[in-house]
Formats: sequence, C-alpha cells, structure tokens
Amino acid sequence: MTAKYIVGIDLGTTNSVLAYASLEREDPQVELLPIPQLVAPGTVEPRPVLPSFTYLAGEHERGGGAFDLPWQSRREFAVGEVARARAAEVPDRTVGAAKSWLCHSRVDRHQPILPWNAPADVPKISPVTASRRYLEHLGAAWEATFPDAPIAEQHVVLTVPASFDAAARELTREAALAAGLPESLVLLEEPQAATYWWLATTGDRWRRMLSVGDTLLVCDVGGGTTDLSLVTAAEEDGELVLERMAVGNHLLVGGDNMDLALAHHVAGLFAEQGVNLDPWQSVALWHSCRNAKESLFAPGGPDKHAITVLGRGSKLIGGTISVEVDRQAVSQLLVDGFFPRSEVTERAARRRASGFREIGLPFESDTAVTRHLAGFLQAHGREGAPVRPSHVLFNGGVFKAGAFRRRLVEVLAAWFAGEPVTELPATADDLDHAVAKGAASYGWAKHRGGVRIRGGTARAYYVGIETAGPAVPGAPRPLRALCVVPMDMEEGTETEVPGDEIGLVVGEPAQFRFFSSSVRKHDKPGDVLASWPEGELVETDPLETELSADEAIEDAYVPVRFQPRVTELGLLELWCVSTNSEGRWKLEFSVREQAAGEAP
Amino acid sequence: MRRIWIALRVFFATLLRAEVAAEVERILMPTEPSAPPEPRPAPKPAAKKPAVAGRSDALTLLATLQREARFVDFIKEPLAGFSDAQIGAAARDVHRDCGKVLERLFAVRPIVDQEEGSPLEVPAGFDAGRYQLTGNVTGEPPFSGRLRHHGWEATACQLPSWSGSQAAARTLAAVEVEL
Repeated sequence: MTAKYIVGIDLGTTNSVLAYASLEREDPQVELLPIPQLVAPGTVEPRPVLPSFTYLAGEHERGGGAFDLPWQSRREFAVGEVARARAAEVPDRTVGAAKSWLCHSRVDRHQPILPWNAPADVPKISPVTASRRYLEHLGAAWEATFPDAPIAEQHVVLTVPASFDAAARELTREAALAAGLPESLVLLEEPQAATYWWLATTGDRWRRMLSVGDTLLVCDVGGGTTDLSLVTAAEEDGELVLERMAVGNHLLVGGDNMDLALAHHVAGLFAEQGVNLDPWQSVALWHSCRNAKESLFAPGGPDKHAITVLGRGSKLIGGTISVEVDRQAVSQLLVDGFFPRSEVTERAARRRASGFREIGLPFESDTAVTRHLAGFLQAHGREGAPVRPSHVLFNGGVFKAGAFRRRLVEVLAAWFAGEPVTELPATADDLDHAVAKGAASYGWAKHRGGVRIRGGTARAYYVGIETAGPAVPGAPRPLRALCVVPMDMEEGTETEVPGDEIGLVVGEPAQFRFFSSSVRKHDKPGDVLASWPEGELVETDPLETELSADEAIEDAYVPVRFQPRVTELGLLELWCVSTNSEGRWKLEFSVREQAAGEAP
Repeated sequence: MRRIWIALRVFFATLLRAEVAAEVERILMPTEPSAPPEPRPAPKPAAKKPAVAGRSDALTLLATLQREARFVDFIKEPLAGFSDAQIGAAARDVHRDCGKVLERLFAVRPIVDQEEGSPLEVPAGFDAGRYQLTGNVTGEPPFSGRLRHHGWEATACQLPSWSGSQAAARTLAAVEVEL
C-alpha cells in the first residue's frame, strides 16, 4: 500500500504536536491533528498539543476506566494533559522532560530511572519507554482519525533537536520504531523544520528576502531547552540554495525557567505582605505567572497586572490572595535576566563540578541566552571573528513576547556595530507549531519536490584510541582521538578512514570511546588529535561490536579500518571493515541492554 | 431586561434538565450535519468501549468549568461578608478561565458582526431562531431596524467524552486529600 499522507511529528520536551499533509492534493496543505487525550480522569478531549508527560497511576486508581482512551481501556498510566496537571500535584509519579534524559549520556537510558528520585514503590520507566508512549499515543490518535491510513504506511518525519548527538538520535529512532512508526522514518533537526515552515509560508518570496552570503540564525527557545542553528544562503547553478552551517550545544534553559523566575519574584512580593505560600499555592502561582507574562508582554498590554492565587479548597474568594506586579519590573527581571545586553566576547558561566553534584539533568547554571548565543557565534566564526547573522528566525512560544525578540535583535545589532539584523516574520500560532508543520512541509518537498536545506552531519565524530607505550600504574593511558566522520558529511554517502589499521580481537567485545564536536570544522577522516582545547570534544556513548569466533576467522585478531556511512534517512553508521577478508561489522552504541524488570 | 432573565433561566434549565438541553440544542443547531465548521473528521466515537452509561454533557461541561476555572466553587460561595475588591480579585481569574473554556469548546462568536446601535436590515426569509424582533413589528420582511444585541452563537461544540465509572459520573470535583 502506498502512503497517502506526510506526517510530521514534533516530539517536544514539554509538548508534542502532529501535523500532516495529504499526498493526494496537488499543493501541500498542512493541518494539525487534534489529539484526543485525558484532560482529567475519565475525561477525554481533543487538544492541538499533547503535553509530553506520563502519569504512573497508583494501584487504587486503576479501576473504573479513569485512564481509558477511546482506543484502549484498563490502562495503568496516562499521558498528555492529565499527566501534566498531575506533575504538579503528584511529582513522584509523573515523568517529564524524558527527551532531555535521552541525550544525557551519563545515565543508561534503557533503565527504568524515571521519575527521577521517586520512592521505591513507584513503578518506573526508562526515558526510551516514555518517549515511545508519547509516539504511540500520537500514532493511535492518528489512526483513530484516519482508520484507512495506518501510520506505519505513511511517510513520517520526526524532529529531533539539532543538538542531539548520534546516540540520542539512535535512541529516538528506537523509541519511534517500537511505537509502530515506519522503518522509513526520517529524522529532521527542529530548527531546520522551523525554517521549512517559514519557507512554506513565504512561498517563492524567500528568494527576494535572502540573498547570497546571508546567514540566518534560527533561535528556538522551547519550554525547557534552547536550540540554535545557522543556515546560510549560497548560489549554485545560478539558483539560491540553503545550507545548514552549524548547530549549537544542547542547552537546558527555556520558557519554564522564565515562569519560575517570575514566580520566585512574586512569592517574594507575597512574603513582603506577610503571606507565605504553601507548595500547592506555589504551583497555582506558577500558572498565574505564565498568564501574567503573556498579558504584560502582549502588544499594548497593561502597565500593571494583578497576580492572584485563588484560595484552596472550596472557599475560593475568602482564601484568594493577590499582588500587583508592574510591567517595568517583570520586563527587567525576564528580559535582562534571560536576554541581557552582553558583549559578543562574553561567555556563559560554566558550572564547576563539585564532588556532591547529583547525576540529574545538567541544567544550565547561566540562564543568559545571549551569552550562550555569543559563544555559539564565536565558535563558528572565522579568524577569531564571530559569525554575523543577517537574519533571525524565532521559534518557540517564549517569543510570543515581542520584548524578547526585540532585545535579541538589538543585542545582535550591537555586537556587529549596528549592522541591521532582519527578523523574519512568524505568527504566534507558528511559534508553537512551526516544527511539526515544517516537518510535514519537508516531507512534502522530499517527495513532491521543493526547496531543501542541505545539511549533512552537524558534528564531527571521533573514536578514542589509547596510545601504545609502557603502562604507568594508576594513570590511564593517554588517549588520542581519531576523526572518523567529518562535519557536514552528506546524507547517502560513505567513506573510508585512512591511516593505520586497528586490531579487533576475535571472540571478545570490542569497545571504543566515542566523541563528537560541533565546532571542529576542518578535521578530516584519519586526522588524529593528541590534545584539544577543553570543551571542543564531548564524549558520548561508547560504541561496541563483537566478532564471533565462528566466522571463519583464523587469526586471533582482525585488522580493520573504519568505514562511516550516513544513510538517506540521516542516520550515522560506523562499520569496521576487515582489510584482509570480506568481513564487516557494524559498531553499535552500547546503550542497548534492555533492562530487566522495566514497567511496560 | 426580560431577555436577560429568559436567557438566565434557559442557561440553568439547560444545565440541569436533560430534556431542556436537548430542545435548546435542537433550536441552536437546526442543521446539525453542516452547522459546526468542523475542518477534520472527528475521532472515532468510543463505540468499542465496555458499556458505560456515560454522563450528561451538561455535567461534563460543569466539571470542565470547575476544573479549569473553579466555576462551581465561585458560584457556591456566599458573597456576604466579602468586599467588592475581594470578590473582584477572584472574579477576574474565574472570568478569564471561563472565557478560555467557552472559546475552546464552543468558539462563541457574535451572530452579526456589526456595532450595536447601528442600523440593520433583517432579510426576507430570516430564521426566527436567529433574529428576535422587538418594538413595532408590522408588515412584511425585509425589516429595517436598529441592532440592539449582536447575538451569540457557538461556532463549535466539542465537549469532552466521559469514560469514568458510573459512581463518578456526577462528580464535579473530586474530594482532595493530601497525604
């Protein structure tokens, strides 16, 4: 059966969205799928977004169909709006930000570790399982709406942060396939997806808006993460083409930090009135602050806004407390706190590892998006000068507040001696849904023709090789990094890493430390680094393979060379190819052991 | 004034009596299949579920208003003893959140997109359910008059569906116990 639809899925850290376009039409008409989900126990309502939260029901809650969905009954967990609401009330039973855990290589992402730090009697799930459930829900919602077009037979495009490394992409794909998405699934970087949506809404006019040599900064600030990309416009055969030039690191700072910062400020104002908030009121305050932020930052918004926390219990009016905040103070707190006027030479403050640090998510200690941005532009500049973006495209609900957009444009202009930075238009609706819609537009362009952004791998990859030499007790052998995949290696290509052969021992697992870099543009396969500036290489999950002894190999070890491949679907594969026989072995990320005893 | 009173009576009668609700629905949405501009096919109805008696849509609406806007808490609380400022502070939030629910579930819009007080022509063959004529009503349509109320209509009607137990069907807000 042939695909009838392009399905674009934005699997977000806090919200997931599904957009689709019918292939039976002549022009791409991208629509959002309303997603039926539990909004309260026993209550199902379609909503445009699926909050990426899982609630693990207790024994006593499971009966009575409280967590039934139109397509499945007797469930022991719930995802979506009801789970998001429960996240505040019952944090120990709620899983959030599973996606940020997926790219956190210091934990085994197949182990049931979430909810993080929950008591022992709470059933736990792995980050991969949580992601699978959101995708399963989206797939089921799709099939409930389009029973004649099973999701496994459609062209599905799933977005991932540009900052996801190869291991996190692999895990995302694994969760997607387990959820019933097709093998032909394509992974697309989120900032690119947002750019595709801008292209789709602009039509052919984009060729007049960008010219050769222009650099577009895509600044995507979601609920919990910030993702940066640079796209350049170049000329090829007289045609204007777009190329993704660089991606930033995974930054765990986003809109939620802003709401929390405001809530903290307002809790201080309440404390001045002698009112101390209990935990429940703090949660209510958090929601009120989100509303206040939207209202105060709306065009022509009021100068003052009353933030109210309604009374708990049924006595609503009697228990209501209220405080006024003014726009000036809030704007100072959030705009200066998250988008301070900084110098382009400034760097985000880095966390110093302390002996007692928890292994939890590595949230940024510096919340200044502008300083992270300065570091990003510096890292990708030439001859010590930062890259100058000529245009900026915003994405993420945070940017509905014009104050943030204006500040960022102002800071960029100041960095480059007042040279203008053009903000590309996006509507408020686009800011929330552009990634899913852009994924569908990209799928359309791929199958029916249209503008494509050239990408290739966003990072260079390195295999760690221990140097030979006499061992020193107590000291690890010095490690060198062998470049195996250069940055910008194109989809659908493969290459061979020149240089010395590596010996793989037969019958034993061979494991390699694996590193990536989003800044070293000039390393070529075969280059060996003896040392590198701190932070340029980031260690990711190790790779391993095992040569079974029965493969007609006589020697105790096999000399191999590395052969990297980037598939048409954008997946990175690294093969070990024997130099004296026909043997080839694929290296796999060793994050794969399925944990025993994991909740289904 | 009289219409406000009728409207209020209809509101509560609709909320509390299923037969009135059905009648009101019939009047408000006479051409059911084409009326709500539903851009997409609705998700499959929950036909395969085990037979649950379900619950009245009016209760589902009331539970939604309570959950998202504390509507029942607000209406049930006696106002005596509170200053207008205190009531106002709470009412602002309840008002805003009720508005969000009405928008999402019913997308309530004026029937006539015109300034109240401006002249309005009522066409021949108008639907008496959509136009109410007052004052000196004589002769044959079309009528010329002055717009007094632009009317409201639900341009969507998408209530949540209910899959909970029979015992919980009349719950508008669950008992909450902190452990």
